[in-house]
Amino acid sequence: MTATVTRHRAAAGSRGGALTGTGILLRLALRRDRIKLPAWTLITALFVPYFFVAATRTNPTPEALHSTMDMVNSPMPRLFTGPSFGTGDLTIQRYLIAVYFVEFLLGAALMNILLIARHTRAEEQSGRAELIRAAVVGRHAALTAALALAVITNAVLAVLMTAMAVGVGLPAGSALLFAAATAAAGLVFAAVTAVCAQLTEHSRAAAGIAGGVLGVAWVIRGIGAVQDVAGGRLTWLSPLGWSQLTRVLAGERWWPLGLSVVLAGILVAAAYTLAARRDLGAGLIASRPGPASASRWLRSPATLALRLQRSSILWWGGSLLAAGLVFGGLAGAMRQGVATDLLGSGPDVLSGYLSLMAVGLSFVVGIFTVLAVTRMRTEEVRGRVAPLLTTPTGRWAWLGSSVLVTAIAAVTLLALSGLAMGAGAAAALGDGRYVGELTGAVLARAPEILLLLAIAMALFGFAPRAIAVAWAVLAYGGFIRFWAADLPGWLKALSLFDHIPRMPVERFTLTPVVALTVLAASVALLGLYGFRHRDLDGR
Amino acid sequence: MTAITTSGLVKTFGPVRALDGLDLSVNSGEVHGFLGPNGAGKSTTIRILLGLMRADSGRAELLGGDPWADATALHRRLAYVPGDVELWPNLTGGEAIDLLGRLRGGLSETRRAELVERFQLDPTKKGRTYSKGNRQKVALVAAFASDVELLILDEPTSGLDPLMEAVFQEIVAELKDAGRTVLLSSHILAQVEKLADRVSIIKQGKIVAAGTLAELRHLTRTTVEAETAAPVTGLPALPGVHHAETSGERVRFTVDAEHLDGAIKHLSAFGIRALTSHPPTLEELMLRHYGNGAAA
Repeated sequence: MTATVTRHRAAAGSRGGALTGTGILLRLALRRDRIKLPAWTLITALFVPYFFVAATRTNPTPEALHSTMDMVNSPMPRLFTGPSFGTGDLTIQRYLIAVYFVEFLLGAALMNILLIARHTRAEEQSGRAELIRAAVVGRHAALTAALALAVITNAVLAVLMTAMAVGVGLPAGSALLFAAATAAAGLVFAAVTAVCAQLTEHSRAAAGIAGGVLGVAWVIRGIGAVQDVAGGRLTWLSPLGWSQLTRVLAGERWWPLGLSVVLAGILVAAAYTLAARRDLGAGLIASRPGPASASRWLRSPATLALRLQRSSILWWGGSLLAAGLVFGGLAGAMRQGVATDLLGSGPDVLSGYLSLMAVGLSFVVGIFTVLAVTRMRTEEVRGRVAPLLTTPTGRWAWLGSSVLVTAIAAVTLLALSGLAMGAGAAAALGDGRYVGELTGAVLARAPEILLLLAIAMALFGFAPRAIAVAWAVLAYGGFIRFWAADLPGWLKALSLFDHIPRMPVERFTLTPVVALTVLAASVALLGLYGFRHRDLDGR
Repeated sequence: MTAITTSGLVKTFGPVRALDGLDLSVNSGEVHGFLGPNGAGKSTTIRILLGLMRADSGRAELLGGDPWADATALHRRLAYVPGDVELWPNLTGGEAIDLLGRLRGGLSETRRAELVERFQLDPTKKGRTYSKGNRQKVALVAAFASDVELLILDEPTSGLDPLMEAVFQEIVAELKDAGRTVLLSSHILAQVEKLADRVSIIKQGKIVAAGTLAELRHLTRTTVEAETAAPVTGLPALPGVHHAETSGERVRFTVDAEHLDGAIKHLSAFGIRALTSHPPTLEELMLRHYGNGAAA
């Protein structure tokens, strides 16, 4: 009897021990994400019928569909959509796959990055993992539960997307391949994030590195597609590319997804190996000691805000600089592509492209500003604002200077990305005038971003728990701008991002710039008032 | 002179009445113990006094001003240590101390160095890498290094080891000698017993007892244990005597302060051989207010 028990225990210790408790942790994760994951998967899948309807409406005739497709198939737009297949014999379904596949891949990848970061490193960082690990839970249970959650979520996404794709007229087999390819890209990025979570001590940094990998995968897939409409060599190096190279609806093949599965497997094995080599809570990149006393300039709420936002501003600045140079540099390819096309006159398409990129960059800066304000809320809830407000620093001084630092950073980032895009375009087109023109084009969008910042600040002041509404404001603007060309005017007018002219394709007008700036200033003042008059939350 | 006065302070969070007519009074130059279990309303009171929250009704006065309206001016004259210090993850402890000190109008370098030494704090570590006790030390050094009239300390030593607890008590005693006022919220009774001139006991958002320890003790019972030549009889019948237990020649009971004399006279008739008596400890005072299954 005793011997049996002992043998049992020994067996448990050597065998399944590291995974003990995985089932319970998985149920906990499902419980915690019971709203989040159904929402992500359903909304992602609903974009299938949405894009279908939008494509049908904007291209009522086969001729219209063909001419849009020709435009999309020129080298520059392929950076964003390609590679594409079977567009010679175009149907609305093929158009859907050719133009929008990348968006689904990005959505799935982002969902998986956030999911894994949230359930692995964020738990360790908060100290909750310590509580869990001290219970009868194996060393690898948390990582395994998070990966299992990712597999379940991607499977659900695939089922929903298959159903939606069948609903818009794809044959069942093709619909399944399309959905499986999307889920496979999701799984690869779940595995990428699982590795990143072992490297740093911070979930935000882990998600950031994984996001960087996603960016690189997106770019090399695109450059490959610019080289060759069916995907050049570089496309074959990108996990996003593999999903598209399944040639949905045009000579379908499943085997590229084997590459995704193999890569995910290798990465997961790497994550387990790294996890086994480190302590709970520690990263492989160790943190170093810092200065024993503060430098002379760290003495006011404004300089503290700058210090806290510094590394984030530098990261965003670097990324926007690179993105601006790439987008601008592609202007050359754009012009060459257009030369072989029968579409309109070259300069118009070129300015259309540049203005679209200017708007895109300003949306990225919008993401930066909303993140900055939600971070202020995190500071408050974590109890890092109370110590400041119990010094002679008043509430206006703290919130005002924090938001001011963000505002100045946002405008600087806009100028920087415009400058980078202008420099790229000037180099590619051999025309120095683009530098000033495109810097102006991006910088002119500053009032939109400032108004977004002011709205986030007013939410912080009056309804801090609803701070996420700021994301909805940004998302609505993006939706209206990029995907909803045929909606009624009043719905478009509701967007913050539809009033300032899109330069260089439209001409600059002062009125909306002034109006939005004045509105931003008033809403910001309202936010200060709200914060002055509410209770501080948190510990 | 009073440093802090509140009267009829009420604060509700949804259906929860966190403060229910709180009257607190802290004199200038005293160390005032603010006692109560978790959830009794100590931190809510302190957050109102710091102008971080506004009371629903009632009046609060701090250093002669209104803690909400005059927050900025008043904060020049006080320092605060929360019970659960959170530091900026990428700032070192030393940077956090300097920042808080400078925001409060500057701190003395020599005092800062002395405190870092006494608390054995490593100021070069990043905020996220400190343990709970070390985060408390950072906040304590920042507060003690600034030259202020009033210190508001909300369970300041949670997570400190006993050696550091002793350092903390030394420093608070020095501050008292220097004429500073300290509001010390705590549930470490030995700490309060050692440091506090007066205490207020809070229960369910109300002050249920306040005064010097001597005054509070006076209100309650002394414990007496005795050994007598002959078994004691008739003790339970005496006025003011409670919980009398006799076993042979040994007897143990509690007695109200005003009836102590009568009880000892009664005992001496049986021939006292040994006698110990001790005033109620703070713990017993607390248990009297909270014990016996009272919903606390």
